[in-house]
Amino acid sequence: MSLLKLDNCTIRFGGLTAVDSFDAEIGNHELVGLIGPNGAGKTTVFNIVTGVYDPTEGDVLFNDESIVKYKPYEVTHKGIARTFQNIRLCPSLTVKDNVRISYNNSCKSRLFSSVIHLGGYHAEEKQIDTDINEMLEMFDLHVDADEYAKNLPYGDQRKLEIVRALATKPKLLLLDEPAAGMNPSEKKDLMKLIQKVKDKFNISILLVEHDMNVVMGICERIYVLDYGKKIAEGKPEEIQKNPKVIEAYLGTGA
Amino acid sequence: MKNTKILFLISVALIFVVNLFSSSINSYYYQIIIYCGINIVLATSLNLINGYTGQFSLGHAGFMAIGAYVSAALSAYFAPNLLAVLGDGTIGRAIWFIGVLLIGGAGAAIVGVIVGVPSLRLKGDYLAITTLGFSEIIRVVIQNLDFIGASQGFRGIYVYDNGVKSLEMVPELSSMKYIFYEVPKFTDFFWTFLIVAVIIFGITNLMRSTYGRGFIAVKDDEIVAEAMGINTTRFKVTAFIIGAFFAGVAGGLYAHFLQYINPEDFNFLRSVEIVAMVILGGMGSTFGVVLAAIILTVLPELLRDIQQYRMIIYALLLIIMMILRPQGLFGIKLHKKKKIAENQEPDKKIE
Repeated sequence: MSLLKLDNCTIRFGGLTAVDSFDAEIGNHELVGLIGPNGAGKTTVFNIVTGVYDPTEGDVLFNDESIVKYKPYEVTHKGIARTFQNIRLCPSLTVKDNVRISYNNSCKSRLFSSVIHLGGYHAEEKQIDTDINEMLEMFDLHVDADEYAKNLPYGDQRKLEIVRALATKPKLLLLDEPAAGMNPSEKKDLMKLIQKVKDKFNISILLVEHDMNVVMGICERIYVLDYGKKIAEGKPEEIQKNPKVIEAYLGTGA
Repeated sequence: MKNTKILFLISVALIFVVNLFSSSINSYYYQIIIYCGINIVLATSLNLINGYTGQFSLGHAGFMAIGAYVSAALSAYFAPNLLAVLGDGTIGRAIWFIGVLLIGGAGAAIVGVIVGVPSLRLKGDYLAITTLGFSEIIRVVIQNLDFIGASQGFRGIYVYDNGVKSLEMVPELSSMKYIFYEVPKFTDFFWTFLIVAVIIFGITNLMRSTYGRGFIAVKDDEIVAEAMGINTTRFKVTAFIIGAFFAGVAGGLYAHFLQYINPEDFNFLRSVEIVAMVILGGMGSTFGVVLAAIILTVLPELLRDIQQYRMIIYALLLIIMMILRPQGLFGIKLHKKKKIAENQEPDKKIE
């Protein structure tokens, strides 16, 4: 059974068809890559899955339930979390609080009990605090827990985005170019980290990435998009040899 | 963390004790102190909307007007009934006052929902203009409602023995006995600062909680907040309702202190004044906003001696302040957003 299924998804912005009848499937505990040249529609696919856009045609099924009509926060409640291509951390919150906002939906203390500290407020806050510290420690971010997120080094900001997404307790994690702007050694660390996240949290990951070393290194299957159309899918070795993919990236031989 | 409740009780006790000595305070100073309290309630409640949640509202005077008129009208029109039921004792008056304040606040909150749900779809300047428009509508409506004095203002009602209720003396009934029920002077140091304590502790507690961090997340980045499972619309409307409620309560305090309200008390300038307190104090800093509310209430009084130059100095101070400390007295200075981020293609479309 597939965890996420994109069924013939098409989205048009005016005359432009950004994604054209895209079919894809992600199974449980699978690491799938989505690649393609600039402007191929990769981030648009993310935005369709996370409910930012409704597809013009087609359907998105998550655990066999259509999630097309859900709003982004409802999609998150269903168990899909994402990171962003350009880092989007909350600048006026600390590292810890950036993770804390992911607990906002699941915490039982709502407005009233948060104001007058009723019921299990203190116990719950303590529990959340412990959870956050554990998560941060796992990713070596605990030293800077009380630092403003904007003051972290670039690589750590990327990591924090992943931690924050994981804190929503997803079943599927969408990573949008996590290696962008990293140096080779940081990229290596990132690859290990993604593997670790997948195994430790037992989740599926959909990865959009430009860096071929990263994609080929960790993905189990890869989808290739070009001008919104799927031009190939398969194992990394197959994709590397696929003439259509080579043409899309390098152009036809002169 | 747990001692906030104790701290709250201590401050309430302190307010109660200080209140015992309030009669010895010069009435001019007393008035300024009460205005400080009312302005703190207004500014901190607006800070929840503008500062913490990042939704720029310019209509706070409108909500204040609703609270003032609803509570004052109730107090005057139902004075005979309330006196009959609750009596004129301390407890009776307390129940009466709390009742009308809550109803006034609730009235403002209901209008807050009606205004908030459609207009919170807008952002920034557009939201500011919409809320400004709504608060002007409220003022103009009040100006045309005769039973609360229209543009004459409202100070109470005359109740004649034959049951006729009128805002002014009726010449035809000059021979008949009447009682004038004015808006009672309930607002004193204790009530004003009790509400100040409630809102300061309430907002501080709220912003420390995991739930409350959601408001700040909405301000920082709505797309991220949504992606992390926060229903941003709900948070924005919640902030708007709480803000409107306390603006209404502040209006009730104001009406029951001055005993006379006029639609012009709640015009555009009043809204701007409250916004100035929030910005001067630092968006999203309760302490700073409280301080700014006090400064901007006391300052015009201190400058009273120099008469016509008063407003010039007031304005100059604001200008200098904004140049030297644009983030406000206690606001957090944030880096300007990088332009590069906006030029990157894909996520831009989400907006």
